[in-house]
Amino acid sequence: MRLSPKLVSIIGFLLFWQIGQAQTVTLSGYVKDEATGESLPFANIINKANPTLGTSSNAYGFYSLSLPKGDYDITYSYLGYNDLVQTFSLQENKSFDAELRQGIQLEELLVTAKDEKENVESTEMGTIELPVEKIKAIPALMGEVDVLKTLQLLPGVMSAGEGTSGFYVRGGGPDQNLILLDEAVVYNSGHLLGFFSVFNADAIKNTTLIKGSMPAAYGGRLSSVVDIQMKEGNMKNYSLEGGIGLISTRLTAQGPIVRDKSSFIVSGRRTYGFDLAQPALKGGNLEGTNYYFYDLNTKVNYRFSDKDRLYLSGYFGRDVFVFKQKTRDLFFRLPYGNSTATLRWNHLFNDKLFMNVSAIYNDYDFSLEGGQTDFSVKVFSGVRDYNGKIDFDYYPNPKHNIRFGANYTYHKLTPNIANATSGDDVFSSDLESKFANETAFYLQDDIKVNPWLSTNVGLRFSMFTQLGPYTSPLSGERFEKGDPVTTYTGLEPRASAKVSLSETSSIKAGISYNYQYLHLVSNSASTLPTDIWVPSTELVKPQKGLQYGLGYFKNLFDNKFETSVELYYKDLQNQIDYGESFVDDPAVDVENEFVFGDGWSYGAEFFARKNLGALTGWIGYTLSKTERQFPDIKRGEVYPAKFDRRHDLSVVANYELNDKWQFGGVFVFGTGNTYTPLRSFYLIEQNFQTRYGDRNSARIDDYHRLDLSATWTPKGRSFKGYASSWTFSMYNTYNRLNPFFIYYTAETEDNLAGASGTAVKVAIFPVIPSITWNFKFSTDRKNEK
Amino acid sequence: MKNRSILLLLLLGLGLVACETEFTPDDADLDPEIVVEGFIEAGDEALPPFVLLTRSVPFFSSFDPDEFNNLFVHDAEVVVTDDLNTYSLEEFCVEDIPEPLREAVLALLGINIQPDEELPNFCAYVDTTGTLQGQIGKTYDLSIEVEGKMITASTTIPEPVPLFDIYFQKPTEFSPDSLLELRCSIDDPGGRADYYRYLTEINNEGFVAPFQSATDDAFFDGQSFEFVLSKAESRIDPPGIDTFGLFTLGDTARIKWCTIDEAHYRFWSTLEFNAVSQGPFSSYTIVDTNVEGGIGVWGGYAVRIYESIVE
Repeated sequence: MRLSPKLVSIIGFLLFWQIGQAQTVTLSGYVKDEATGESLPFANIINKANPTLGTSSNAYGFYSLSLPKGDYDITYSYLGYNDLVQTFSLQENKSFDAELRQGIQLEELLVTAKDEKENVESTEMGTIELPVEKIKAIPALMGEVDVLKTLQLLPGVMSAGEGTSGFYVRGGGPDQNLILLDEAVVYNSGHLLGFFSVFNADAIKNTTLIKGSMPAAYGGRLSSVVDIQMKEGNMKNYSLEGGIGLISTRLTAQGPIVRDKSSFIVSGRRTYGFDLAQPALKGGNLEGTNYYFYDLNTKVNYRFSDKDRLYLSGYFGRDVFVFKQKTRDLFFRLPYGNSTATLRWNHLFNDKLFMNVSAIYNDYDFSLEGGQTDFSVKVFSGVRDYNGKIDFDYYPNPKHNIRFGANYTYHKLTPNIANATSGDDVFSSDLESKFANETAFYLQDDIKVNPWLSTNVGLRFSMFTQLGPYTSPLSGERFEKGDPVTTYTGLEPRASAKVSLSETSSIKAGISYNYQYLHLVSNSASTLPTDIWVPSTELVKPQKGLQYGLGYFKNLFDNKFETSVELYYKDLQNQIDYGESFVDDPAVDVENEFVFGDGWSYGAEFFARKNLGALTGWIGYTLSKTERQFPDIKRGEVYPAKFDRRHDLSVVANYELNDKWQFGGVFVFGTGNTYTPLRSFYLIEQNFQTRYGDRNSARIDDYHRLDLSATWTPKGRSFKGYASSWTFSMYNTYNRLNPFFIYYTAETEDNLAGASGTAVKVAIFPVIPSITWNFKFSTDRKNEK
Repeated sequence: MKNRSILLLLLLGLGLVACETEFTPDDADLDPEIVVEGFIEAGDEALPPFVLLTRSVPFFSSFDPDEFNNLFVHDAEVVVTDDLNTYSLEEFCVEDIPEPLREAVLALLGINIQPDEELPNFCAYVDTTGTLQGQIGKTYDLSIEVEGKMITASTTIPEPVPLFDIYFQKPTEFSPDSLLELRCSIDDPGGRADYYRYLTEINNEGFVAPFQSATDDAFFDGQSFEFVLSKAESRIDPPGIDTFGLFTLGDTARIKWCTIDEAHYRFWSTLEFNAVSQGPFSSYTIVDTNVEGGIGVWGGYAVRIYESIVE
């Protein structure tokens, strides 16, 4: 893509500034895993003598630290790895790749080390890194390790419903989370109606959640960023790992293509339960009925030189449900899934200026086909993006870490388009796909003002243009392909600051203003594959969100415990929902069914985490309130949002008894979800009908659940190229019947001789035990103990 | 077309264990609303216009015939006006009718009664003079004065759009010979929105509406085509997937095919969507009404009735 003149002048200014700061020397390089050569993103690099003058590696593991000439002890640290302390006598610019050793060897075991002070010392607020090893140690539903469900255990993040991977962050809707897999937006992150996320933990390196003030590099969503990075592939040794659980089987292969230069990883996962049932269905009335989902993650990378590296990664995942019934010649076929591809080029201009250029494609498509004899109907929807990005990391001196860049996306959004055939007759809805350009420029600077004050300031400019073909529902005007229909622009300032109170405590504050141009509105308790992403148009205005945050961070007992209290207030404009008399009609464009209003939420989050020792884990508690106000809902009065939850508590614990046994436990408690209650029954055509009361004016029972797990590694840590482990887990250990949904019925007898009404709470996840077996072969014998 | 129902099927198909617990919801403690159910017909075998006035009731677990009697709203002033005249509707109840005539009179109101069973004291407001007769293209305003409240509504009887080429055939080669599907054709008028509703009757047992009885022509405006009409099934005990919507060989089937106006359609479409959209994958729908000051519907029908032996 072409750089705008504005961007070029910024780069020029920065390079000039660098010359003015030439008194220092620069230490730069990559932070990597010693055993696999995987780069380690967001590792901390700290000058031991003066910890405030540190930096961290970027998303690709690159770091640059400029210091006055002299002798230094530099500490490199990364969650789950042993610290590396390296002594340098810096008289000139120096390049050094730090190779860190994992604190433990089996992934199922819990991390034992981390940079203890990061909690207090980073400027970021509401940002949490979760290396996948940490996620794997937590008990999982049916043994299926799930990145998104682990995020739900953090304060401020709420599960969208029992067992689902959907989530709400600080009172924002499910569409307000930007979920990125190697920079590609994932529009539907759930398999099997959202009960499992599409992220196969075996292929994932790191997950970052940003729920506080979003840095200017990110945009397009109001509430949070979940930035998931795939593993790059082992640069040094080959390995094959996999496992079998209740739901899926998994296999991952990785290794060098050219040692220390190029590597690959291929990781697949597939369900198998219904496949096994196929022989039993054969010849029967339901022959051909099946359900499965799969994921395939692939990535290769090549290091051309010390300054250039290329990555190509892809993700392909799909759910397929087929229902067939012979006597009525009835069938349904429901496939849906995501594909993403990311091509990235890292280039180092010099030891202070790092560039990444990405070309990204992503596609989510849903279709439902059904029919009987000579009648069939097909409904399809989806999102397809072509995305180009350029990002620069610039480290002019130890006091500044500047990032800037640009992002362009061409969107194609297909609403539910329905086609039907009946014999030779063909019917179709008049709906057509919508198109848009989305562009953004940003600049941000992490500034260390003095030893006790640091700030991060940023500005993002975003622009969204709806493009034809489109017929205006307001004026009736016809726009041809590529014609601009409506343009929205947004100036999105972001700022945060940290004041150190002592070695172990600090106060942080942040403010951010965000625009969101794509929307997904759900009529259900959680998000579903049938929900449709829609762009901002003449009718649908961009959503806007303003968030304030304030936090106190304190480490206790020699940094063994990190604790924090964060307060937030969020103001949301142009929120979207379905009207009260919504009917799901495929012939009608959903944007005509929308109603618009405002929302706000506020809360306090308490977090205490212990990262060291045999017993580790955290406690997170959130006290919050989330409300909405729409002129067309509840007569314009304020009502609680669907995801308003007063209390939300998560306790996560892991205990490593010895090399062979490790235990995990999770307890969650949440105030019951809101729902719209029945107001009355009334008679029409001699049948009782249900009439509902005010939206979200009742609450279902409080939610609580305890999960336990035990992992047995028969050979302990002393594996010789081969290792295996068994994980036994118990979901909902004390069999709490948490209502998943409720429904009402009223049945009248003939002649109106009587009637009966029922209200029913339905729980779908009782106690569920599961066993998962994992194995790993590796050609790596260096790290044996 | 109901994507969400398919999802429910998937959920069930996966054999997830659903544990159901009955509960008594909190009493909403709201004043009951007055429910209007009134129709005016033009066309084949047009029923006389009538209005039922009932009250909504809070959640109940059981409801006996006496309570049914209390549902009916009495002593209302019910008036229908067209562009020329005003007609007063008079209240009468089952108990006012001589016993031998009750069934016939109720059938006239489209109310299906099983013979030889006790009835609640059903009450309706009707035009006892017989001068109010629905006409195609006319608009009828309803006004009701009751318990100090004014309730109004308006409906139009649109042009009828007939069905043709009605016949029965076996749905698939695997299905039993005794069960047939009904096929028919329509020429939908182009360039305008049409709204349809249908009911079916078997062996003169009274017309019943299927679960999905109403549709608009957004999907087939101006097209001519053949399609399948499902038989209306019992709501109390619906049959399984193998027989659902099929007609039994030898029965006499009648189809009541109606065109209705938009507000009347919105009532049925929201009501029927609401009836199936409970559960985990949707929330709720408030049924649209064209009644001001109450809920329910005042609807005009242009009626065509087709009769055929299932063969």
